[in-house]
Amino acid sequence: MKYLLIISLLILFTSCQSKEEIMYQQYVVEGRSIYEKNCANCHQSDGSGLRDLYPALAKTDLWTRVSPQQLVCIIKQGQKGEIKVNGKSYAGYMPANAKLEAIDIAELITFMKDSWGDKKIYSFNETRAALKNCR
Amino acid sequence: MQLKPIALNVLLGFSLLIASCQEKKNLPFLGPKDTRVVAGKIDTIYHQIPAFRFLNQDSVWVSEQDMAGKIYIADFFFTSCPTICPKMKTQLLRIYERYAENDVIRILSHSIDPTYDTPSVLKQYATRLQVKSPRWNMLTGDKAAIYKLGEKSYMVTAQEDKNEAGGFVHSGAFILVDKNRHIRGIYDGTQEAEVNHLIEDIEILLQEK
Repeated sequence: MKYLLIISLLILFTSCQSKEEIMYQQYVVEGRSIYEKNCANCHQSDGSGLRDLYPALAKTDLWTRVSPQQLVCIIKQGQKGEIKVNGKSYAGYMPANAKLEAIDIAELITFMKDSWGDKKIYSFNETRAALKNCR
Repeated sequence: MQLKPIALNVLLGFSLLIASCQEKKNLPFLGPKDTRVVAGKIDTIYHQIPAFRFLNQDSVWVSEQDMAGKIYIADFFFTSCPTICPKMKTQLLRIYERYAENDVIRILSHSIDPTYDTPSVLKQYATRLQVKSPRWNMLTGDKAAIYKLGEKSYMVTAQEDKNEAGGFVHSGAFILVDKNRHIRGIYDGTQEAEVNHLIEDIEILLQEK
């Protein structure tokens, strides 16, 4: 009887989770594995970066200073020349991730926003539109 | 509580077992071996890293003579490497920090893209990684000599490959070399657990006379 109550409560709660909420969670989970495969080597699993060689992503001004549209292009095309993160200058370059498709990048950015940014989804449609506007 | 004789025996057995496990472990000598007869006795000649000479990030020559009496870890990388090198450097940093005060330990990182990785490029890389010679030498020089040393002596792969991200294939191995330039262990430098193992083996080598 007690179990029945718990189960029915659980069903109630999960059904209360909106479609958007479920999609957000899916993006975050997928995004995490894309991050581990493509980004963590340099930026580290926790986003702390590597000394003065590779910039941190966690606890940085990137999330207020750089728009998701710009991020999409940096991820897809790479980054050359000097950049500043938290006021510190980094000279190296970031390789392009040409293999990542719009959906991968949407999930990746959503995961990073979830970890270090404003915890809002960055949708597939937004990513696709941003990709078209990359130089 | 009083222990019965059997229980005591079991306890003794266990403590012996544990004690024997803690006995000093010896590291193997890796690579092809040879034998020679000296004064009627058979002597084993172990594989040894031959003479080498490369420039480091401070444009200073580093040779096998600088490694005399040193235990060192060798690896192969290039500064513009987008794949496993950053992971390897993250792991090597652990070793560098751990033995920061130990003058016996050295790290030799050989560039497999020496045309691009000039001493000044290596200097910038080392500075940004906040590491210094002579504890951590980043080496560049004649490409053929580096590749040959890698494949024939350190037994790792290092090749140019246009299809590979960054243009080179190479193994992520760390090679542990003792004070007489014998290879005593090879580890996957991209795996934290493997590098823990390497650190244990460095400790064993440090005890070796």
